Amino acid sequence: MHIGKFGRVMATAAMLMAATAIAVPATAFADKTITGGFDVGPGGFQGNFNPLSATAGFTWLNTYYEPLVIRTADLSKLEGDLASSWTVSDDHLTYTFKLADAKWHDGQDFTSADVKFTIEFAKNAKTGSLFAARLGDIASVDTPDPKTAVVTLSKPNAGLLDIFSQLMMLPEHVLSKMDPASLANSTYWSTNPIGTGPFKFSKYVSDQYVELDAFDGYRGGKPKVDHLIDRYFANAAAAVAALKSGEIQFTYAEPDDAKTFDGDANFKVIPGDSWVVNFIGFNWKTELWKDLKVRQAVMYAIDRKQIVDSLYGGAAKLAQCGYVAPQIVPDGLNDYAYNPDKAKELLQEAGWDKINGDKPITFLTYYNTPQIANVLAAMQAMLAQVGINVQPRAVDVPTYNGIVHGDQYDQYQLTFAGAANGPNPGSLNINLNGAQQPPVGNNIMHIDMPDLTKAIETAMGETDASKSDADWQAVCKTMNDNLPWGSLWVASRFGVASTKLRDFVWIPAPAGGPFEMHPEKWDIAQ
Amino acid sequence: MTRYILRRAAIGVLMLLALTVLIFVLLRLTPGDPIDAYINPSVPVSPADLADLRVRMGLDQPLPVQYFGWLRAALTGDFGYSVQHAGEPVLGLVLSRIGPTILLMGAGILIACIVGIAAGIWGAVRRNDPSDISLSVAAFIGLSSPVFLTALLGLYAFSVMLHWVPSGGMTTPGAPFSVGDLLAHLILPACLLSIAHAALIMRYMRASLLEVLSQDYVRTARAKGLKEFWVIVKHAVRNALLPVITLIGSTLGIAIGGAIFIESVFNWPGMGLLLIDSVNRRDYPVIMCATLLTGVCVIVVNLLTDIAYAAVDPRIKLS
Repeated sequence: MHIGKFGRVMATAAMLMAATAIAVPATAFADKTITGGFDVGPGGFQGNFNPLSATAGFTWLNTYYEPLVIRTADLSKLEGDLASSWTVSDDHLTYTFKLADAKWHDGQDFTSADVKFTIEFAKNAKTGSLFAARLGDIASVDTPDPKTAVVTLSKPNAGLLDIFSQLMMLPEHVLSKMDPASLANSTYWSTNPIGTGPFKFSKYVSDQYVELDAFDGYRGGKPKVDHLIDRYFANAAAAVAALKSGEIQFTYAEPDDAKTFDGDANFKVIPGDSWVVNFIGFNWKTELWKDLKVRQAVMYAIDRKQIVDSLYGGAAKLAQCGYVAPQIVPDGLNDYAYNPDKAKELLQEAGWDKINGDKPITFLTYYNTPQIANVLAAMQAMLAQVGINVQPRAVDVPTYNGIVHGDQYDQYQLTFAGAANGPNPGSLNINLNGAQQPPVGNNIMHIDMPDLTKAIETAMGETDASKSDADWQAVCKTMNDNLPWGSLWVASRFGVASTKLRDFVWIPAPAGGPFEMHPEKWDIAQ
Repeated sequence: MTRYILRRAAIGVLMLLALTVLIFVLLRLTPGDPIDAYINPSVPVSPADLADLRVRMGLDQPLPVQYFGWLRAALTGDFGYSVQHAGEPVLGLVLSRIGPTILLMGAGILIACIVGIAAGIWGAVRRNDPSDISLSVAAFIGLSSPVFLTALLGLYAFSVMLHWVPSGGMTTPGAPFSVGDLLAHLILPACLLSIAHAALIMRYMRASLLEVLSQDYVRTARAKGLKEFWVIVKHAVRNALLPVITLIGSTLGIAIGGAIFIESVFNWPGMGLLLIDSVNRRDYPVIMCATLLTGVCVIVVNLLTDIAYAAVDPRIKLS
């Protein structure tokens, strides 16, 4: 039958196509290369190369840039990075940094001139820097010798070193020749940036990946792998697929995806605190939540333990205030254990029927994962049981930000959101301080509690570390009593790494860190 | 003819202007701007710094000022810089994405044509045979399967489970370019993109060929003793292909829609992925440029089609 001949021709063509696909290996390097989704997840920032305008993505940036000081891998304290040591004057106005013997990727020495240039450059808003306001307390930077930088403040700032831990040093000898205003839109950052980290920039393939090469002159020794590649993905699920297919060796993973690696000897799941407290935000510009009894009723109506156990698989810690670090959480807090009867009683006392009754309340969030959709549905059902009718609305981040920075308060009467709560709890100031309401600050729920504001400012102004914990405990107690928002939990986040990786360090730090991960020690079994 | 083309071109320019106004206004009506997309809601960022950034990008200007500023620059070929791809001129960025999209769509349509036509011929020749029924069932499943489902299932089966092909991207990161590597990345998304089209083409081809096979000239060819293979290939298939070719042309629009989704799932660096990312990050300059170029393509293709009709069909007069 000649049709059979025709069919065979077609079948042969199809097999040839398939063979072409199968014949090509996913990776084929003679050198050692680690490929990962280092910018996947909430700590990542794909496509951002300018460290001064980064709101996240510091894990990857820290493989080729370095700050003066850096958090340890458990985020418990700061240590020197490009600063080998530092001292602080008694009046907390002068910081003296002794610099390490480091070299830039082009072979030039790293000196105090680079420190002075970087700080002054980052203070200049024209450069597109997001550090300008935060470095406003710096009066001057002096360079008595090439290995000493002296930073003088106009007033004490307990958070200065934390800010410095994200301020990546930049090369004065390269960038001083460029116009600061044009640097924000310069291809410099994504073509030939110079850093001092263990890897140096090689190339960026638009929206596909960034490749770094080992820097032979790194002061900590030549990195064990020759190349480091940060592959871009549309979402975490796509990165997990690439990990499972063996194309990459590491990625952040959503909790549901992380579970699929349980018991798989080829992968190691790396859990860690998110350092983000999830909360129910009460919009103080509406009349709904002015009565403390109503806010308490919301807390009693939600079975947080049940949600954490069933929807987070136990991978979250209940929060009774803005943070869960034990040294800054006092004893004797109200745990708002699930009690719908008490919630109904409180609502009745507050006159909820007159305040709102069963009218729908918009429950806005920027979280778009299936897990959070289930969490919101559970909370909706629990609140409905006590007579609070909330309507969850999940939107993308720009829409969320556009709404909550506007004045259409009925569009966000209630929010489900997250706020970075560490390692320095002072990061909550911008969300809770009454003086930080828009347009000045990011207190988007318009919380205005003088007692809380005073407690936070006291804690932030405390330069004596031995007293700081007690101050933050006072903040926690105030939050727990007055419920500026309804603190819910601090969830865990997960990374998944191939067991081929050796000495690989990663934690789900807020904004990606940076933290001491020593990429020069990372290795991969061939 | 010249006057007609000039008039259509003038109308086209007006339509493009209207398109830019429409997209510009719609983008501004959408909540959130590029700076809002920049903010990680759980990470504290100073609003003063963000306000400075907004001023630097001109987002504090009144809308008419922003629009005419953009238009003035666009008329000189300057579409500005991408927000999400700092430092990359928008025009170069958009143009660089057209090639990968054409490659993906072209490969998808090519596979769909080969598979669809072959399966259609087989089904018509083996009418009501179990293999014909199986192909028809497969075609119905292919037609009924949304591309987002087939894309994810294909990714899971062939990449995650079987490790036959890469899970995404256009080339292997860090590896030197090779055609084989490109094909390895292309084959799965192209095949998945082709499924619905192949099913449609198969149904049309089968129906068309069945009709042709019952024609007198086919019976005559057989009566002359021509071998069945040549009767089908030389006489029947060539005539049956005419409506199928029309169909292939008309499904190009559907292919573009499918390619956008496939590009997103497979991280294929084409126009679709760029547009989705740009909308997610409110990258106004890229959205404006990409939409404008798409509009230019549609208007030019429509004009060329009208001219081609007039050239082919003498009954049509362009005036």
